[in-house]
Amino acid sequence: MVKPKFYDLNVHSIPDGKNTSSEIAALAKHFGYSGIAITNHSNTESKPSGFEANNLEVFSGIELVSNNPSKLHGLIGKYRNNVDILIVHGGDEDINRAAVENRNVDILAHPITPKDSGLNHVLAKSASENNVAIEFNLDAIFKGSGGRRVITLSHFRKNVEIARKFDVPMILTSNAVSYFDLRAPREMIALAGLFGMDKDEAVAAISTVPAKIIERNRQDSGFIREGVEVIGIDNIDNETEKAGESN
Amino acid sequence: MKILPPTLRDKKRYLAFELICEHDVTREELLREMFSCVGSLIGDVGSSECGIRILTFEDSKGIIRCAHTKTEQTRAAIATVTHIGGKRVIVHILGISGTVAGATEKYLEGIEVFTL
Repeated sequence: MVKPKFYDLNVHSIPDGKNTSSEIAALAKHFGYSGIAITNHSNTESKPSGFEANNLEVFSGIELVSNNPSKLHGLIGKYRNNVDILIVHGGDEDINRAAVENRNVDILAHPITPKDSGLNHVLAKSASENNVAIEFNLDAIFKGSGGRRVITLSHFRKNVEIARKFDVPMILTSNAVSYFDLRAPREMIALAGLFGMDKDEAVAAISTVPAKIIERNRQDSGFIREGVEVIGIDNIDNETEKAGESN
Repeated sequence: MKILPPTLRDKKRYLAFELICEHDVTREELLREMFSCVGSLIGDVGSSECGIRILTFEDSKGIIRCAHTKTEQTRAAIATVTHIGGKRVIVHILGISGTVAGATEKYLEGIEVFTL
């Protein structure tokens, strides 16, 4: 079996978090990640930038914060072409809804609202259609404690159930604000088991789901939109030659 | 009392780990924090089923023993250790083996603990 490539697509660095991107990258590399995305909140003074260090890809990203759906759509339009990973800071009913209804959003982060799990059949259907991944931020489990953690676990369990039914992509992230908030991929998978994700789903949520998001946002991948692919001029020539030969 | 025959003994797994921290941590501190975290995540019943025990711990690396069917739960519980003595730490599992010797040879010998 090929060893999967692991990604953590929601990590915060200075000035949003406590450590620099390269410090975080060094630890992520040690833990066996293939890539991470630095996704600072849009209301902090930080410029998204990506780089590659020691075989670890650091993707540029942003976590958009807004309390108004129409302003959020504006922000999405503004940042979409500048970043690899576009995350919406969820946790509000209207914002969650706006995020899953926008095809340009990659991930809806921590959708849990003060009232409920933040995901229902309507939102799940939109998320599935628009390919917006639902985040399970595991820091809420390993950093939290007591009643709050109990509630988070039950919301996560409910969200897994809904996401499974509507085939919504699920993604595991650390939502780290310090390198001490990072966890190794295997630990993340084990933590996901606590709220009912089975092993295959958890592995996909930290490897293939994020890999797909990266793939579709890579500038040079030739990705246009779902179902459309550029074959390239050379290939077309070959095809016509072949067609000519067979005639 | 006579020792149990091998077939009746509990089957174990041995988890090699490294402790990533800014300050030196003693075995007692780690022990206390780990059991409190495991207890708060999976409770007394879960803890007894996992049978977690720290076998060795020196130079920020060591071996934890647990029940062979509970490795995932043990991993998750150990991942919830965030602070020891008010300082941030990470317990990173390097590998799992069926014997102490295997875990030591494969995952601990000659391994440099990650320094921040």
